[in-house]
Amino acid sequence: MHEITLLVELIKAVETAATQNNINEIDTVVVQIGELSSIVPRYMMEYFPNAAEGTILENSKLKIEIIPASGLCHHCNKVFKIMKNKGLCPYCKTGDWELLSGMEFILKEIILRESLDPN
Amino acid sequence: MKGVIILMNQFKIVEIKQSIYKNNDVEAEKLRGKLKANNKFLLNLMSSPGSGKTTTLLRTIEQLKDSMRIGIMEADIDSDVDAKIIAGTGVKTIQLHTGGMCHLDAKMTSDGIDNLGIDDLDFIVLENVGNLVCPAEFDTGATKSAMILSVPEGDDKPLKYPLMFKVVDVLLINKIDTLEMFDFDMDAVCKRAKKLNPDIKIFPISARTGEGIESWTDWLKAQVLEVKTVSNPNRDCMGK
Repeated sequence: MHEITLLVELIKAVETAATQNNINEIDTVVVQIGELSSIVPRYMMEYFPNAAEGTILENSKLKIEIIPASGLCHHCNKVFKIMKNKGLCPYCKTGDWELLSGMEFILKEIILRESLDPN
Repeated sequence: MKGVIILMNQFKIVEIKQSIYKNNDVEAEKLRGKLKANNKFLLNLMSSPGSGKTTTLLRTIEQLKDSMRIGIMEADIDSDVDAKIIAGTGVKTIQLHTGGMCHLDAKMTSDGIDNLGIDDLDFIVLENVGNLVCPAEFDTGATKSAMILSVPEGDDKPLKYPLMFKVVDVLLINKIDTLEMFDFDMDAVCKRAKKLNPDIKIFPISARTGEGIESWTDWLKAQVLEVKTVSNPNRDCMGK
């Protein structure tokens, strides 16, 4: 949810990074979305072109990587995949764990197409 | 945000690795810091619509207004129904209109605090938008947060809205005066909530009859006292 607001924030962050790193033309922006973050990747892809219109990302692509949700079991100290195991530690079958990953929305990297002309 | 540059064939990759949520988290920490430095306690109060947030606030104000200075920020998409009711108690109240936003974030909360003016207050409550989904995702910068679940809503809510139960410090189970009329398993709710959040404090209450309110307000008194006695370098220190 809130994909449009998040896209606006993403574009602001890219614009700041572009200024700080002297970037003019962006081929692709890569984001990482946590599996539990309630962000719907499909909506991000759909709304991206409209959100990017008139900005530095107007002609750029959006690439999404999903970060799986992992938990650290407080009982047996093992790390496990939360969705696959339905929220229960597969080693000791308890539900007492803390979230290690899965709630992120990260601007991972900006990919620029280098000019083929050495000049 | 200076990026790390990697060259790969014809592509140049600028690594950023920055959380987009960072802006709200930074605002929230700033507000929390400011509240702490000024010895103020801000509570973020959340629930679904109709669970009894405003009625619970009325009871809370009734119990506490003689022992502390209270301020209330009401947040709704529209109308000033709640603010009018609360203002009737005589405490300083403002109404925030989110204009369609389904939750409050740290910036809106901070702006609300500036508008309310908290220099002459000890305890401030942000009555968040009635919604069990979105407010849980946005740190408002409050010192602590509480949610209300009412008996008629059912005991399966921790299963359906786990994030909300996970992020709050307190769960108020309201409308316990109606327990006989509903199939509400109090033990099951408490077990489910504690499974998600082992440190959650649970207070069964009836805002209507007043039952259980004292335990809740005792907890609030302790929280307000704690922020007042936290070491403050600007205060005189005896014997040290």
